[in-house]
Formats: sequence, structure tokens, C-alpha cells
Amino acid sequence: MAYVRVDGAVKFFDREDGTDMLVLEKVSFDAQENGITCLVGPSGCGKSTLLNAVSGLETLDQGHVEIVSNQSDAAHLPRIGYVFQDPRLLNWKRVEGNLIFALKGMRIPEEQWQERIQKYLNLVNLLEFRKQYPLYLSGGMRQRVGLARALVIEPEVLLMDEPYSKLDQLTARKLREDTLSICTRLKQTAVLVTHDVEEAAYMGDRIVILSARPAHVTEVVDNPFQPVARDLDDLRFIEFKKKLLKSVLRSMQ
Amino acid sequence: MANQEKILIARQEVQSALNEELTELPRRNSNKINEGIRNIGLRVASILTLILIWWLLSLFFPPTLIPKPSETFTEVATIVSTGNFFSGMGSTLRRVGVGFGIAMIVSIPLGILMGTLRSFESFFEPPVILGLTMPGLIWAVLMIMFFGLNETSAYAAVAITIMPMLAISIWQGTKSIDKDLIDMSKAFHASPWSKVVDVILPQLISHILAAIRYGLGLAWKVVVVVEMFGLSNGVGYQVVRGFNIFSMKAVLAWAISFLVVMIIIEFGMIGWLEKAVTKWRPRAEAWRR
Repeated sequence: MAYVRVDGAVKFFDREDGTDMLVLEKVSFDAQENGITCLVGPSGCGKSTLLNAVSGLETLDQGHVEIVSNQSDAAHLPRIGYVFQDPRLLNWKRVEGNLIFALKGMRIPEEQWQERIQKYLNLVNLLEFRKQYPLYLSGGMRQRVGLARALVIEPEVLLMDEPYSKLDQLTARKLREDTLSICTRLKQTAVLVTHDVEEAAYMGDRIVILSARPAHVTEVVDNPFQPVARDLDDLRFIEFKKKLLKSVLRSMQ
Repeated sequence: MANQEKILIARQEVQSALNEELTELPRRNSNKINEGIRNIGLRVASILTLILIWWLLSLFFPPTLIPKPSETFTEVATIVSTGNFFSGMGSTLRRVGVGFGIAMIVSIPLGILMGTLRSFESFFEPPVILGLTMPGLIWAVLMIMFFGLNETSAYAAVAITIMPMLAISIWQGTKSIDKDLIDMSKAFHASPWSKVVDVILPQLISHILAAIRYGLGLAWKVVVVVEMFGLSNGVGYQVVRGFNIFSMKAVLAWAISFLVVMIIIEFGMIGWLEKAVTKWRPRAEAWRR
């Protein structure tokens, strides 16, 4: 497995009028091995930019991202699984075709494909829909396909960019539970971006609180609850959530 | 514990509700089949009406101007049975097919490049717009003057007439491609080939099909003109021959059999192709009456 170290990340964007806008102001944090790290912050603070920098989709102006893996050698490209806000599926490919697209892209040997598709579709409870086209599935199921596509490459790091924000509350809640239990079972190193404090308290083993733009880390909170002990109705958990919310609100000032 | 009991009770309620349901299954008011029959019926009625009007007109005009439908259909049967139809139609189809193939090979990459690279867009926009404005007839004349009275001029005329139109629709289609999916394919390190085949082309397919439909319409016109001008076979040549012996019957017979083939290609083949490549998209026609 692997962990992520972000060190002094700085990123500017171009404004419409041509001036520079500072988005990330020396952001540093570690995403621990075998756990979920949540990046929480107000909307538009640069969380997604940070995630894109970790995945390599975006380059930083200063600082660097390190993905430290036990199979690190110079030639080894870190395998990163990405779950997007919209599922971003290839709607013209069947569910299994979408998984194959990722397997093919990551140069996974073809003889492993069937076994892996079977395993990960089963994990997200979609095995019986493997031959279905995405547009015939519900929003929650499509998001599950997105999760399976990210997991099927057996990523060293799983990145999730507000994956539940466009789902209805019930679907989102179920999917959070499932994602948490899957990640715990697979001992998956993951980074989850969210602006939902309850989601961060529920999903994150470590919660990194970011300020409003330009983003910097204001606080890092380690979750006192083990994944299985996180009960949304438990008073102590609610207490923890409140404390977290206060910290997030403070960071916005 | 209390919760689990509640769940149990709820489950039993759902179960008993389901059992009641079983005695009288909900039925859907299904008149889909009737609707299908009605739609086909309307189409048949439309064609029959046209033939009826034709027949009525033929009563008032001499057969050299408007022959009877029955005589014309006998003429169709003659050209089909003598094999004239197949050789003539074959030549015409080959010319359209080759011209179309050339146009596709050039236009698809050109359109994709114009949609993705600003410099290509600026450079190729003027010639594409100019080409689109030029009437197919003039292209036909130009190509015959340039290549002479041979097959090449037919291929070239078809290709050059539809190329701008194909390029424009693929260019516009490429510009409307979902950028998020490109980012997704980058995140999963898709190869350039996979990006084109799995991500870009499927999004262009409906644009390409629309362009093929429209392009075919143009191609038929141009190829017939080239054949009229100076080739010694093909549908256009046969129509001119009918004109030279002043046989309205022959002209109409060729026109009708040509129409039938065009309809089979446009609605049969392309319709089928469209269904095959868009079966991933749920049909949403509920709002139509």
C-alpha cells in the first residue's frame, strides 16, 4: 500500500482579467496508509484542485506531491483510482466495458480482467448489472459503477471528489456506509474531498480542515472513532461532529 | 432490540401487502402494438394517396406526358427483369460509395482536428465554408472538365461536394464533446487510440450519422448529374436516354426504382445502423403524440 504526502502546495489560477488568483497557499498534509483522509473546506476553496494535483491531472506552481509506495521504483507509476462528482461513465459501454476501459488504460494484463471485474462489481453489489448500459441505472448505481471502476485497477491511492454530493440523501447515506466498509475491508488508502462535515466525521480516519480561498490547512483532526464505531445517532459521535463543525466554521473566517 | 422488532413488523407488513398484490397484479394499459399498426397504416395510406393522385392526373393527360401508374410499374418490372436495373444501379451506388468513402476518410480526421486545435480551426474554416456554399452542380461540371468523362470525375465530384458538410458537422460535434470525460480518460491513463475510439468517436456518432443522411441526399443528386453529362451507364445515364427517346415511362420507371433503393438505404440501412450504435441510450418518446 501507499501513503500520500503533500508538501507546500501552491497553485495560481488565471482570472478573467488576466491577473493571478492564489488558490492553494502552501498546503501540506499527509494522507495516512490504509485509511481515509478527508479534506473538508468551504465550497470553492480549492479542494478539487488539490485532489487533481495529487492525481497528476493538475500541476502545481510550487511544492510537490509524493506518493510513497512500498513497490516504489523509479519506473513505477503510482496507480491512482479516481471517483468523480458525476460518475463520468462512458454511457455507450456496458458496466463491465467501463471497468475494462480503466483496466486497459492501466495496462493490467488481460487474463486478470474477468476475475477482477467479478470481484469488484460484487463488492459494490452490481454483479448482476454487468451487461447493462449506465443510462438504464439509477444515479446511485452509476456512482457505484464509478467506484468499481476506480477500485478495479487496485489503486495504491483512491481519490474521491465529493462523490455523494449529487445524490439524494438516502442514496448518499447508503453509499457512504458501503464505501467505508469496502475501504476498511480492502485496507484502502483513500483521500476524500467534501464540504459536508457529517460526511467527513463519518468517513474520515483523518480530517484535514482547509480554510476559504486561498486554501491552507487550519487543523488536522484524527477521528477518535474506529470505522465500525461510527454511529450517526450516537451522542458521543454527534458531539465529535459538532466540534468538527466548529473548527470548520472557524477556518472560514 | 426495539429497532429490530420494528423492522421485522415492517417486513411482515410489506410481505402481506405483496401477497395481496399477487391476487390482482397491476396491469398496464397497453396499446403500444395498436399504435405501431396505426403508424404503419398511416404511412401506407400516404403512399397510396400519392399513387391515386397520379392515376387521376393520368386520366386527363396523354400517356406521353403522364403515363398510367400500372404501365410505369410494368416498365419497372421490365428493367428489373432484363437486369438493366441492377447494372445501372450498381454503377451509381459504386460511385456514391467510393465518393462517400473518400469524403469520410478526409472529413472525420479533419473535423476532429478542427474541433480540438484552434490553429486548424482558423486555417480550414474559410475553405470549408466556401466549399459548402458551392452548389454540387458546379462541382460536377468542374470535375468533369478537370478529370474528363470517366469514373474518377464521378468519385471526385461526390467526394468534394459532401466533404465540407461532413467536416462541419464533425467539427461542431467535436467542440461539444464532454471535457470531463477527457479528464476521466487522462486519470485512467487511457492511450491516445483508446481516447479516440472509446471516448471521442462514440460522442460523434450521432453527428456523423446525421451528416451521412444529409450527405447521401447531396451525393445522389451530384452523381446523377455527372452521369447525365457524360458517362455511359448508371441511373443518370438511363434517365437521359429515356429523355432522348422522349419516353416519359422510362424516365419515371428509372426515377421510381431509384427512389425505392434510396429509401431502403436511408431508412432501412442507416436507420438500422443508428439503432445499433445508439442502443445504449434509453428511448424517450413518451411526450410524442
